[in-house]
Amino acid sequence: MTPGKEIIYLDDAATTPVDPVVAEAMQRCLSGGGAFANPSSIHIAGRASRAQVERSRAQVAKLLNTAPGNLVFTSGATESNNLAIAGAARFRSHRGRHLVSMPTEHKAVTDCFAALEREGFEVTWLEPDQRGLLPIGDLEAAIRPDTQLVSIMHVNNETGVIQDIHQIGDACRRHGVLFHCDAAQSAGKLPIDLSALPVDLMSLTGHKFYGPQGIGALYLADRPECRIRPLFHGGGQERRLRPGTLPVHQVVGLGAAAAIAVERQPDDLAHAERLNARLWKGIRDVRGITRNGDPGHCFPGILNVSIDGIDGESLMLALEPLCVATGSACNSQSGEPSYVLRALKLTDRLAQSAIRFSFGRFTHESDIDAAIGVYTGAVDRLRSIMPKATA
Amino acid sequence: MSSEEPYNDTVRRHFANPAHAGDLQAGYPHAVAAEVSESEAGLRILLSAQSDGNIIYRLRYRVFGCPHLIAAAEELCSRLEGGPAEGLQDVPVAQLMELLEVPVEKTGRLLLLEDAANALHEACCRLLPGNHAGQEKGTKLARKQSKD
Repeated sequence: MTPGKEIIYLDDAATTPVDPVVAEAMQRCLSGGGAFANPSSIHIAGRASRAQVERSRAQVAKLLNTAPGNLVFTSGATESNNLAIAGAARFRSHRGRHLVSMPTEHKAVTDCFAALEREGFEVTWLEPDQRGLLPIGDLEAAIRPDTQLVSIMHVNNETGVIQDIHQIGDACRRHGVLFHCDAAQSAGKLPIDLSALPVDLMSLTGHKFYGPQGIGALYLADRPECRIRPLFHGGGQERRLRPGTLPVHQVVGLGAAAAIAVERQPDDLAHAERLNARLWKGIRDVRGITRNGDPGHCFPGILNVSIDGIDGESLMLALEPLCVATGSACNSQSGEPSYVLRALKLTDRLAQSAIRFSFGRFTHESDIDAAIGVYTGAVDRLRSIMPKATA
Repeated sequence: MSSEEPYNDTVRRHFANPAHAGDLQAGYPHAVAAEVSESEAGLRILLSAQSDGNIIYRLRYRVFGCPHLIAAAEELCSRLEGGPAEGLQDVPVAQLMELLEVPVEKTGRLLLLEDAANALHEACCRLLPGNHAGQEKGTKLARKQSKD
C-alpha cells in the first residue's frame, strides 16, 4: 500500500478485518484484571483463565455443532492441517502409507503431503474437473487397501469452489479411510454441522472469520479410529496433542468470533451474495474477462477473474489502492502463476492475470463500486501501454 | 526501498505517467519500429521512432510486461528522444537496473529492451541517405524473438 492512499480492502480470503466486538473481548482479556494467568495453573487466577478458554472452546464447538472436547486449539489452519495430516499419517503408518489429496489444496496441505512423501508415504493427487470439483468416482478409484487418509478442502482459497464434503466423507467412511477437511475458508462463513458430516478431522483458523491471527483449531471426531500423533512435545496441554501454553486472549478472540458467526452467518452469506453479483455485473463486460471456478459451486465471498492479455504484476500495481490477491497469491515470491488455476487448465498467461476479489461482513457496496472503477480503469490504462496485438 | 515495497519512486512515477507510451507507426513520416518478444513470460516490447537516421525526433514504446520493464522503457525513451540515433546502440542497462532497483532475476527483461533498442537502431540506419527503404515503404518493423 502506498502511504497516504485510502485503501479499498477486498482481500478477506487472506485475512478478514477483526470484528470490533472480538477486539474488545481480547482487550478485556489483556487488560488489568483480565485473564492473563496461565490456564494450566491451578491457582485461582489460572482457573479464571481456564474458564475463559473452555468458554471459547464451547463457542467454537457450537459454531460447528460438535462437542467442545473434540476441539484442540492450535496457532491456525497451517498448524491444524499439519497436525491432522502428518499426525494421522504417522499414527496409522503401520497399517499403510498411501494418502490421497488434490493439487488445488492450500500449500499448508500440499507441502505437508510433500514432506510425507519424503518420509516414504505415497500420495495420489486427484485432478479437479474444469469446474474445480473433485470427481467422486476418481476418489473411489484412488482408494486402495493401504490408503489411510484423504484430505480435501471445503472452500478453495483462490477460486471459492465448494467441494461436496458430505459425499467425499461418505466415500471415505465406506472404505474405512480417515477424511481430513481444511475448512479455513468456510468455518464461520458457511453452515457446518459436524454432528451430521462424515468428517474425521477439520482445520479452521480465526483470522478468516473476523477473529485474530495466530489462533485456530483442529476438530477430531470422537471415534476410536480418529487418533493422531502430536507434532510437538512438551506439557500435556490440549490432550497432549498440542502442548504449549495457550494464548488466552487469542483463544478468547476465536471464541468471540465464533459466537458472532453463529448469529451473523445467514446475513453475512446473503450480504456476500449481493456483493458478488454487484461486482460481477460491474466487470463482466470488460473485454477478455473470464470467471475462474464454477459460479454454481462457489462461495460468494470470493470472485476470481482472469483477463486475457494483461500482465498480472502490472495489473496489481495499477490497481492500487485496491487490496486484492493475484493469480500468484500464495506464490508471490516465486512469481509463478497460480498452481490452483493451472490445475483448472488455465493457460499460464490467463493464470498470471488472475485477480481474486474477496469480501465479507465489513465490505460496503461503495467498496465494490470503487473496486469496479479501479479495475476497469487499470485494464484500460494497461491496454493503452501494451502492443496492440496483445491488447 | 524496503523489502515490502517492490517498486521505488522512479518506477512508480514512470508507471503512473508513461508519457512516451504509444507508437509512431501510423501517420508519421520517417517512422521506423522494432519489436522483440520473449515467449516464456510472454514479454513484448515495441519501440518506434521518428528519425532521419541521425537524430531521433520522437521515440515511443509499447510494453507487455512488469512495472520495472515499463519504467525502464519510459526512462530510456525520455533519455534518447531528441538525441543521436547511436544512443540506441548503447543502452545503459546497468544504470537502469540501479536507478529502478530492478531485481536481479529481471535482468533478462532489460536485456530484451536493449535488444529492441539495437533493432530499432538498425531500422534507423536504413533511413540514412542512400538507403530509402524505410521512406519508400513507410514504417519498417523489425521483429525479433528471444527465449531469454
